[in-house]
Amino acid sequence: MTARWGLVLLPPFIFSFFLVAASQSVFLELSFFEDLGLGRKGEDFVLDNYTRFLTDSFYLHALWTTIKTSALAALFTLVLGFPVAYLIARMRSQWAMVLIAGIVVATFVTIVIKVYGLIVIFSANGILNRSLMEIGILSEPFTIFGNVSGVVIGLMHFTLGFGVLLLYSVIQTIPRSLEDAAAIHGANRWRVYRRVIFPLALPGVTVGALMIFNMCMGAFTSAALLGGGRVFTLPVLVQRVVMMELKFSMGATLAAILLVSVIAINLLSIFMLRRMKAAHLVVV
Amino acid sequence: MRGSWKVLRAGLVAGSVVAASGAASFTAVAGEFDGVTLRVGTWGGSWKANMVELIVPKFEAMGGKIEFVTGSPQANFAKVITGRGKAPFDVMEVLDAQIGDAMESGYFQKVDLSKIPNKKYVDDYQYNENMVGSWHTQEVICYHVDKFAEQGIPVPKTYADLIHPKLAGKVSFPDINSGGGLANFTAINIAAGGDRDNVQPGLELINKMKVLKFWSRGGETLSQFESGDILAAVSNGGWCLRTRKAGVNVDSVHPVIGNGNVGVAKVGWLGILKSAEGKNVEAAHWFINEYLTEEFQLLFAVKSGIVPINKNAIARMHEDEVIRDILVLDQEKIANELRFDYTGINLSAWTDQWNRMVAK
Repeated sequence: MTARWGLVLLPPFIFSFFLVAASQSVFLELSFFEDLGLGRKGEDFVLDNYTRFLTDSFYLHALWTTIKTSALAALFTLVLGFPVAYLIARMRSQWAMVLIAGIVVATFVTIVIKVYGLIVIFSANGILNRSLMEIGILSEPFTIFGNVSGVVIGLMHFTLGFGVLLLYSVIQTIPRSLEDAAAIHGANRWRVYRRVIFPLALPGVTVGALMIFNMCMGAFTSAALLGGGRVFTLPVLVQRVVMMELKFSMGATLAAILLVSVIAINLLSIFMLRRMKAAHLVVV
Repeated sequence: MRGSWKVLRAGLVAGSVVAASGAASFTAVAGEFDGVTLRVGTWGGSWKANMVELIVPKFEAMGGKIEFVTGSPQANFAKVITGRGKAPFDVMEVLDAQIGDAMESGYFQKVDLSKIPNKKYVDDYQYNENMVGSWHTQEVICYHVDKFAEQGIPVPKTYADLIHPKLAGKVSFPDINSGGGLANFTAINIAAGGDRDNVQPGLELINKMKVLKFWSRGGETLSQFESGDILAAVSNGGWCLRTRKAGVNVDSVHPVIGNGNVGVAKVGWLGILKSAEGKNVEAAHWFINEYLTEEFQLLFAVKSGIVPINKNAIARMHEDEVIRDILVLDQEKIANELRFDYTGINLSAWTDQWNRMVAK
């Protein structure tokens, strides 16, 4: 008799689905009513909030800023995280576990503390700006406040540890013997990376990229603290619209669009990965 | 300076003793609030700490307990709205700009002014049957004295003076959604020639200032002065005061607004929620009355940099040299500060225009 392991997943699925559906359904419903301010909504089912979003360059720009900052943060996290994860995964000494433990501990540090650390490092009198100005690379201090670069740096700081851990587990699934075999047959290091490691890691890297991207799309703290009140990602706008302007229906619309955008981008990515697999561009 | 600080502290202690002997409060007896838990919506940090230091012990002596729900008035008002008036507190801090919305919401009950005997120490315009005034802040231009002198930047007299090439990216301004946001935005708009129906002049002036950061918490101005990120900030005078006391040589300018106004006042109020019932309503009145005592108002001023509305407390603030330097204590000048009536203003439209101007 075949064990029906799928049933084991049912309770957590129901639990997770309830938690997500219960909260999101309230927002989704609210988004279809006119916003009358002070938390009040109209009585008729309308699409005004969505029409407003889709025809207003301010909101579309906020959506674009959210996707752009999240994509850049995910990309740079992978670029920085992959070599680190690879080195740790291939280390033969006990230091590998120490480094992994260090990264795990670092992920426990709350994002607010991490961002304040960045603010101290990047401040005008901070160690980084002072050093770069002393050696003549910068003539003016570089600031991470109030610009997209700062928000991307903040998001990377938020996701880098998680990214390394994720990539580490992906690389560990690639047998070292494949690299050795390629090297024995004359492939140089770069070719081994390009033709062996990267194609094998690509599905895992793609999933990791999506997870990091999703985390960034919903991230509020980095954008709020480093955006300087002028980089409006959708989570920041949702907070301002709901908490400060008390426009619950419009806030719900922004939240719904954020949710739909994330789902759409994830589905599109999975579709593209399947196309690549069909074209034998990746090994799954 | 340290000497005057000690004198003021000694005065505070003496005042507290007098207050403890029952001279300043309205009649309250031990056991009067047995089993009552009063819930107060206020800011955290020094604001809550002041209350814990002076008000909470008195309430506990009468058998009650005070719980705090901390957050900005905007965030706390959002909790009231979300709960459809069933607020997680009985009494809350309200900003002047919120009063219109607060009244429109219908979630606040009338204040029985006969239960606020300490109102005799404040001006008539600072209380009414809907809310009772609690403090006021002076919104100032705070600037780094040494850096301005070093770089040859003239001392500003008004907001437009912050448009200077050497100040580009070195000025911070309150976000419209922060505690001081609307007061300062209103002031800069009027100073730039705008009015309640047209905020474009103010927005354009802010845009020309090349602001580094629109701050959401006043404490950011202190840390950014210390880190060298900013040379000037538009902020509540209390933060300028604390920055000076933290060792950064800053001074304040009370900006010329026009129409005879010099300086900007942001006014705090206390309101009682309709959801408060029974003994909690009595306790809420008692709390408001305690808030207006000379001792508490003075402690609040010294620790949090607000300007008291209790006239006796204002008089005692002259004893502190730094406070004298940074804040305006002359009653005539205080009366001359810009106080804006937000009734009928479409604040949502203002915020919308603000967002579009500052967005990157």
